[in-house]
Amino acid sequence: MPIVETKGLTRVYGEGSNAVTALDAVDLAVEPGEFVAVMGPSGCGKSTLLNLIGGLDAPTSGSVVIDGRDIAHMSEAEVTALRRRRIGFVFQFFNLIPVLDAAENVALPLVLDGVKAAEAKATAIEWLARVGLQDLAGRKPDELSGGQQQRVAIARALVTDPALILADEPTGNLDSRSSDDIARLLKEVSVTWGRAILMVTHDPRIAAHADRIVFMRDGRVVDDTRIAGAQEARDAMEKVGLL
Amino acid sequence: MSAQVTLAIRYLKGRRLRTALTTLAIVFGVMLLFGLNGIIPAMVQSLQSSMIAASGQTDLVVTSASTGLFDAAVADRVGTVEGVEAATPVLRVPVALAPGRYPVGMLSIIGVDPATAGRVRPYPVAEGRFLSEEDAKQDLEGGEATKRPAVVLPASTASALGLEVGDTLEVPSARGVARLTVAGVLKMPTAPGNEEAYMALPVAQALLGSGDRVSEVDATVKAGVDRAEVTRAVQRALGSAYRIGGVEPDSSLFASIKLGGFIINMFGVFAIVMAGFIILNTFRTVVAERRHDIGMLRAIGASRHTIFGMFLTESLVQGVLGTALGIIAGWWVAKLAMAGVGVISSDLLHLSIGRPVFTPGTWVLAIGMGVGVTVLAALVPARAAASITPLEAMRPQAGDRYEKAATHRAWWGVAVIVLAVAGLLSRDTTLVGASSVVFLVGLALVTPALVRPVTDAFGRAIEAVFRREGGLAKANLTRNAGRAAVTASAMMVSVAVIIALLGTFTSVFDGFIGYIDKSMGADFLAVPSNLLLSTGTVGADAALVTAVKSTEGVGDVATLRVGRAAMGGTGLQVIGIDPVAYSKVASFEYSEGSSEAALARLGTDGAIMVNGIFAAQQGLRPGDTLRLETPAGPRNYTVVAVATDYLNAKLATAYVSQAELEREFGVTTDVAIMADARPGADRQAVRAALARTVRDYPQFALYDTREWRDLQVATFRQVYGAMYVMLFVLAVPSLLALLNTLAIGVLARTREIGMLRAIGSTRVQVRRMVIAESLLLASLGTALGMLSGVWLGYSMVDAMNAVGFKMPYYFPYDGLAIALVIGVVFGVLAALVPARQATKLDVVAALRYE
Repeated sequence: MPIVETKGLTRVYGEGSNAVTALDAVDLAVEPGEFVAVMGPSGCGKSTLLNLIGGLDAPTSGSVVIDGRDIAHMSEAEVTALRRRRIGFVFQFFNLIPVLDAAENVALPLVLDGVKAAEAKATAIEWLARVGLQDLAGRKPDELSGGQQQRVAIARALVTDPALILADEPTGNLDSRSSDDIARLLKEVSVTWGRAILMVTHDPRIAAHADRIVFMRDGRVVDDTRIAGAQEARDAMEKVGLL
Repeated sequence: MSAQVTLAIRYLKGRRLRTALTTLAIVFGVMLLFGLNGIIPAMVQSLQSSMIAASGQTDLVVTSASTGLFDAAVADRVGTVEGVEAATPVLRVPVALAPGRYPVGMLSIIGVDPATAGRVRPYPVAEGRFLSEEDAKQDLEGGEATKRPAVVLPASTASALGLEVGDTLEVPSARGVARLTVAGVLKMPTAPGNEEAYMALPVAQALLGSGDRVSEVDATVKAGVDRAEVTRAVQRALGSAYRIGGVEPDSSLFASIKLGGFIINMFGVFAIVMAGFIILNTFRTVVAERRHDIGMLRAIGASRHTIFGMFLTESLVQGVLGTALGIIAGWWVAKLAMAGVGVISSDLLHLSIGRPVFTPGTWVLAIGMGVGVTVLAALVPARAAASITPLEAMRPQAGDRYEKAATHRAWWGVAVIVLAVAGLLSRDTTLVGASSVVFLVGLALVTPALVRPVTDAFGRAIEAVFRREGGLAKANLTRNAGRAAVTASAMMVSVAVIIALLGTFTSVFDGFIGYIDKSMGADFLAVPSNLLLSTGTVGADAALVTAVKSTEGVGDVATLRVGRAAMGGTGLQVIGIDPVAYSKVASFEYSEGSSEAALARLGTDGAIMVNGIFAAQQGLRPGDTLRLETPAGPRNYTVVAVATDYLNAKLATAYVSQAELEREFGVTTDVAIMADARPGADRQAVRAALARTVRDYPQFALYDTREWRDLQVATFRQVYGAMYVMLFVLAVPSLLALLNTLAIGVLARTREIGMLRAIGSTRVQVRRMVIAESLLLASLGTALGMLSGVWLGYSMVDAMNAVGFKMPYYFPYDGLAIALVIGVVFGVLAALVPARQATKLDVVAALRYE
């Protein structure tokens, strides 16, 4: 069973003559452990798709089913709890809390879920070790490089053991070396730790690490290609005119 | 620790400067509220204990409903009531001792009946003896020590006066200085600063010139009898002219101290409300600044409740911290202020004040206001933060929504101002007071809409001085119109209150000087060294005024006498004058509708004049009938004028003829004497002769009226000085608001300032930009404050005139000048820390700042 499945997912902003269709009847399914990259030009609806799947925004029509439950039929509290336990977010600008150190940032979703502070911190440090930052657990975000901050954000996304990671341009604010590191880490998240990843990106080199690339244009899915390696990724991109 | 608490504490620690500035505002408010409230209860307690020191030790205390003296025979009537074991008459009057004669200024003269006093309460003797019936027969004139009347002192009083058994105690009396021999020392506790001297009742009555009258009857109830039942029986036997229970200190002085307490409370509440403004502003900014954090937290599963709780916890931590520090600072303020107030109270009221007293109410008020206002001020921003959806939080904020809301609020503000103006024009003091607050609230609502136009207007002037930076400063202010408006409102309220109070106080002082010139027209004055005629003053019997009249060179002479009455449960002093003699040497300041002709009517039956305060308290106008509780029972009087004399302008007072005062109040002693020199007489010689005449009456101080006027003006100047300090204190919260807003502005624009530095701005230019912004903000608040302050001050004076407190309106030129100085100085001062913060920013770090 897919971890997330959208059917006829549509989002229209504005009304009447000002109405803009950001997402137009998108059908998409992501299986457990699958690493899916979403690509397309600016304004094609990639981020809107991610926001709707993450329950940050409500669809105009269509459905988003996560773990077999349509989030349209869930209360705000249930959606919030779902985000806390089943979904991890990774943002382009890291979005770490500046006044908390790395371990506390990672532990935050657990603390919000009522886990005791000491237990949450221990789990957080384990995850920091898995992303290679065990020695930097006590540093504040402004004492870390961009790549390190994004690793902390990934650890935070994973700490509640979610089934799905939603990553919005996770390398958009990093240099190429750090971008490669993060891409490899995300691959490891899906392969080694079995999490499904839905990642929005503009960067073909990063998308090449995915198992599958979904191409979007004008709010619609125009191609959905399974890939194995950088060459197949390049071919798929050429096919839709992205390269 | 929960996520809310952890995040709240970390955010507070992470922004130390801002936390310190907002907490400082709370500290300041609580310090004023707590500290100043520690002084007033101490004064009230001293006054209370001086008036009711012994009342707790007997079962029943009977007093006159008029709060004045009454016939001693009432004790016999009480003694015959069933269930009463014993009753004894007591005359208890606080008396001001001759200045400098003893280390204490005030002493309660307590006349007791030696035959019955011991049956009502114990008088344990430590040394010597207690009073005997023989003492009641002693003549006050006794020359030799052995023949002098006896006085018995509690041990603490003896020690305070430095007297032992056998020594002589000198007290002012109606017949001149009275000398009494200390016959015994009692093992009785007295309240600190509440000294007592017991003597036989006839001796005390002769000493005070009170005839056969007493101030209370103390009684005990038979064992096993229901005290409440006996109380009711005594009340039935005596009628409504008497009160049964403790001695209730409801004098005008007590009311004045309570009023002082209320005003002081208002200062504290004002400072805390200003702190509320600052906190509201800070949290609004914090919410705007943390939108991304809020969005992220919501995205990773934080509920609205968690976000709301996080901001409330932050405010709670600041509230608790600020309140705790404020209480500590307040304790020190009270301790230091007590030293100053103690001197004034001892000099003017002859009231010794002990240590600051912090009642449970003060603790509750300080903690409630400190923590409560902080949390309340954070409530709206916290709710706003909780209502942000994760998606909204990730998007840039729309500016035009604020503009629309500001315009909407401004119309509400206009409506509120219109309502307030109607109240201000009502000429009713209560309504004017309430409308003043409403007016400022209305203006605060309008301010956001005024930010842009007023900033544009002042911006031109600022750009003239800060040519390169002025434009940027103006833009910085207008793009955060909400934050600027709250800060400007805080500044506006401070400035408006300062100008309004200065205008009102100056008008009041000018009015008082007018009273002096009219009512103190005589050449010489013999007045009590005590400030108040009806408290602690021993009058002089007819011998003194006769001696004054026969002093060489003295022409017309008039005297004032004083009795006590009550109206509607509130005490007042009743001054007795001889209308004919008084009009020859002095006059009154008459309110509208009254005239000199009214004075002549005082001689007629049932005519009374009332002063401005009393008229305002009771809503009295000429022609009204009022019912006074006098020592002789309830009496109806007709108000013939609302008029004020200087000596009694500060307390609720009524004026009757001296004949009426003698008839209804039994008062025949003079408490103030005014005398003119005969035309052509040598003024210096007359003064010297008068000095010899009053020498034996140390309760009176003799002045040449011109010299006395100068003394009063000098006292006013001193009060003025203290008032300027208080007004400066009122302005401090606005400085904190300004400082806070600028610091927040600099923090929020860190990246922008980094960019300015990167493209070539010098540190000096950045500093000048922050100063220009501060000056603009200060100008906005000061300009609005000046306009509203003048208007509020005028309304207050107008209302006071309307209720009979006649005074000229004084245009507050000095207030406006002070406001301008405050505006500029605070504008520059407030900018110093944020400007330093801005210029010290590391360019690279600032550009990377999130």
